[in-house]
Amino acid sequence: MIKVLQKYKKRIDNHLLTITFFIIFLGLVTLSGSNLDTLNIIVNQVVNIFVGLIIFTILVFTNPRILFSYAPALFLITIFLLILVHFFGVESNGARRWLAFGFFNLQPSELMKITLPLMIAWLYQQYQNKITLWLHFTAIILISIPVYLVLLQPDLGTSIMIALSGFLIIFLAGISWRLILSSMFVAILSSPLIWINLHVYQKNRIINMLDPFVDPLGAGYHTIQSMIAIGSGGSFGKGWGEGSQTNLNFLPEANTDFIFAVYSEEFGFFGVVIIFALFLLLIFRIFILANNMQSTFSKLLTVSLGVSIFSAIFVNIAMISGLVPIVGLPLPFMSYGGTSMVVSLASIGIIMSLNNHKTLIAN
Amino acid sequence: MDNYRFKYFFKKRIQILFGFLIILLFIPLLKIFYLQIIQFERFTALSKNNSIKIIPLPPKRGVILDRNNVILADNKLVHSLEIDRAFFSALPEIKVRLKNKLNIDVDVDVDNKKTSYLYENSVPISFSLTDKQIANFVAHQYLFPKLSIKQRFIRDYPQGRSSAHLIGFINRINDEDINFLDKENLTNRYLGSTHIGKSGIEKFYENLIHGSPGFKEIEVDAKQNVIRTLQEKKPIPGKAINLTIDYRLQKIAEKAFGEKKGALVAIDPKNSEVLAYVSQPTFNPALFTNGISHAAWSNLNDKNSRTMLDRTVAGVYPPGSTLKPFVALAALTNDIRKPPFSIFDIGYFTMPRSSKVFRDWKRGGHGTVDIIKAIAVSCDTFFYGLGLELGIPNLNKVLDDFNFGKKTGIDIGGEKSGLIANKAWKKKKFNESWYAGETAITAIGQGFTLVTPLQLANATAKLANPSLSIKPHLLLSIDRIKQDKEEVKQDKQSYSDKNLNWIKIGMVNVTKEGGTAAFLGKKSNYQMASKTGTAQLFGLKIGEEYNEVTLPDNLKDHALFITYAPANDPKIVIAVIVENGGHGGSVAGPIAKKVLDAYLKNKKL
Repeated sequence: MIKVLQKYKKRIDNHLLTITFFIIFLGLVTLSGSNLDTLNIIVNQVVNIFVGLIIFTILVFTNPRILFSYAPALFLITIFLLILVHFFGVESNGARRWLAFGFFNLQPSELMKITLPLMIAWLYQQYQNKITLWLHFTAIILISIPVYLVLLQPDLGTSIMIALSGFLIIFLAGISWRLILSSMFVAILSSPLIWINLHVYQKNRIINMLDPFVDPLGAGYHTIQSMIAIGSGGSFGKGWGEGSQTNLNFLPEANTDFIFAVYSEEFGFFGVVIIFALFLLLIFRIFILANNMQSTFSKLLTVSLGVSIFSAIFVNIAMISGLVPIVGLPLPFMSYGGTSMVVSLASIGIIMSLNNHKTLIAN
Repeated sequence: MDNYRFKYFFKKRIQILFGFLIILLFIPLLKIFYLQIIQFERFTALSKNNSIKIIPLPPKRGVILDRNNVILADNKLVHSLEIDRAFFSALPEIKVRLKNKLNIDVDVDVDNKKTSYLYENSVPISFSLTDKQIANFVAHQYLFPKLSIKQRFIRDYPQGRSSAHLIGFINRINDEDINFLDKENLTNRYLGSTHIGKSGIEKFYENLIHGSPGFKEIEVDAKQNVIRTLQEKKPIPGKAINLTIDYRLQKIAEKAFGEKKGALVAIDPKNSEVLAYVSQPTFNPALFTNGISHAAWSNLNDKNSRTMLDRTVAGVYPPGSTLKPFVALAALTNDIRKPPFSIFDIGYFTMPRSSKVFRDWKRGGHGTVDIIKAIAVSCDTFFYGLGLELGIPNLNKVLDDFNFGKKTGIDIGGEKSGLIANKAWKKKKFNESWYAGETAITAIGQGFTLVTPLQLANATAKLANPSLSIKPHLLLSIDRIKQDKEEVKQDKQSYSDKNLNWIKIGMVNVTKEGGTAAFLGKKSNYQMASKTGTAQLFGLKIGEEYNEVTLPDNLKDHALFITYAPANDPKIVIAVIVENGGHGGSVAGPIAKKVLDAYLKNKKL
């Protein structure tokens, strides 16, 4: 038993795990302060964390080679699922995003957030000695297919996230600055074209983000209530469990997507600075680990997973503070909910597994 | 790219990436800094605004009682149908549906969006729902999600139409009231209130009766459910006021008037407490509580009946012969026509150095007449000559002493000042000089002189009790605490007891054998001092100070009567005017007598 634990300990990066647990702990503290069916929620969230830790442990002991060898297959399956969505997906709010499997709904675009980086990382690993413009071009094609399919659903937010996770790897794999800058230039030029092709609800979201007080009881309501929650927190917050915005139900989705607003209301700017520091430390540690890895695949995948976590954090906080439109996106490690917790802990698990097998993938 | 180079390259790229991420994370951090530190106050206010609501609790209006605690105005609990203020604009549509589906009438003016807008979140649209209407509404509540049934106190006037001018009425707070309250800085006192006094005592003592609102500070959640009460301050109810009025007398006087138009004022000559204050015809003050319909309003303002006119203080009438005791006193005070001076009346008076003749009301005249008999029989001939010798300035001085021609300052609104005419006034008004004949007819109360019933009663009270120096008033006590009487500073000439006594004898003789109201005295167990009057209408109408000399012939004279009793120890003074009533003694006198009888029945005589 002790041996097993020692073995387990060896495979764990203590720094990364401590930081992660700290953030999870702050999430639990925030959840328990709200009076909205607290006991139930805490119990459920603890269960979520346990499930996440089991997946985490399995992944820690999994050889990343398996992940590597199945990368193209996983990618193709996900592409296939995205095509299936297009024809057989469940429609809701004018978008087809889910495949109904009776007992659970699968959102292939979420899967793509992992399988695309896997695929691109696999690509650069496989051809690491022949990194040419053509390889980059191939990567871009591989990225465009799922991005396009997700855009068709339509799901602008997710497709942007998928595109970013793909391009991030191209960037890290060494595409030249000249190419980066010129493609950015093209992107900026084409932005009016994107605006024209946006759906009305997407345009409304952007307008409401620019001025939520235009429609305070309608589309701007969530943003305003969230900003009120944050703003009224002040320097040191209203105190644990004292958030009136939260406890009187003014804040929507207080336990899930808007948990950061609850945290800000109760712990103030002081608390915000602490959590920002923790998030930065988390990413920093992941980058350190990536830097110390040996294989191209490991490095690329680790940074990609780290940036995925970062993106979710960033978009969630930007949304809650009124910087970007409200999109349903939970805050990793803190929001109440199983999927987010499991996926976040799984990402950390994969990173640790890659870290354990620094040299297992032959260069 | 070899492995070593890649690692170096990769390290550089993740450094750049990390720097970029730090910068990226700074954007929301700055935004949060802005929200939490710079805009803290604003968002704190918004947060409180979200969850803390202050609900005004309107005060209960004070009751109005007569001197014997008979209730004149009260509050009753009713079920009212109310609409959320935010949906007020939907009212026209709701009104139609309410009428069609449930047969409930909306009693607010749907076009007047501002009505009560300031004052409450819930606007009552229909008061006094019957049990059946309530049951019916509850059953159909789902059709009217913006409406709810609440309990509210509304003003109740248990005496119905009786004494309406005195009590007055309340009405919905309107734009004008809102402006007034703003100007007077009283808005805070009306938070939550829907009504305000509009006339009579309800208006004059609004300040006392209204009270002050309390409030309830509550915490609500996003669905506006009340979580808890943070603080509560009870409203301070309006004060209960007792009037000097003896409601029994009101009732008796109103009954005695019957269908006749006119006014009656009774005053206690010891302290100027107004015992009766009657204006006929009258109206139902409850009509106004929730906004009166256009038809009802024009009906009340019908030119012939002029129901809304408070004749006691705003009806101005020529005093007719009721002015004679005052004219006589003026003469005696100026040492003219003192007994035993007498004239032989042959039925008319010829103007000196002129052929112009003024008739006495009695053809053939009254024979030998001294000043006492002149009052008792109301001898016009005697007074024509008296007036000419006395002159307008001397007469007006006495009339002014008795508060004619100016407001008495009674505690109710709308008082008119009447008129004492003189040379200067006529010049200014008509650009004409004063004729001697006008002096003569002024002496019998038929000139330009105009009085209100209250002025007449007030002057008579002074005749009954010359030392009286208190303004006529209606307020007896506030929350059962007696109020100080307001003294009027006067700079009056003194009237000798001897002169006053002659006037009194003349007035006592009015109800004795040979007097103009002799029949009244026959069955009386107390002595009364009175004067009858018959005001010929030659163009001066009630409510107007002057009108052209185009009087319709069919208009009968006004009947007037002033009296105090008992003559030797006056306890009550009464002035009565019956519009188009004919002869004062026979029409107005009996009304006064009934009130006297009722009042003196229980008093020691």
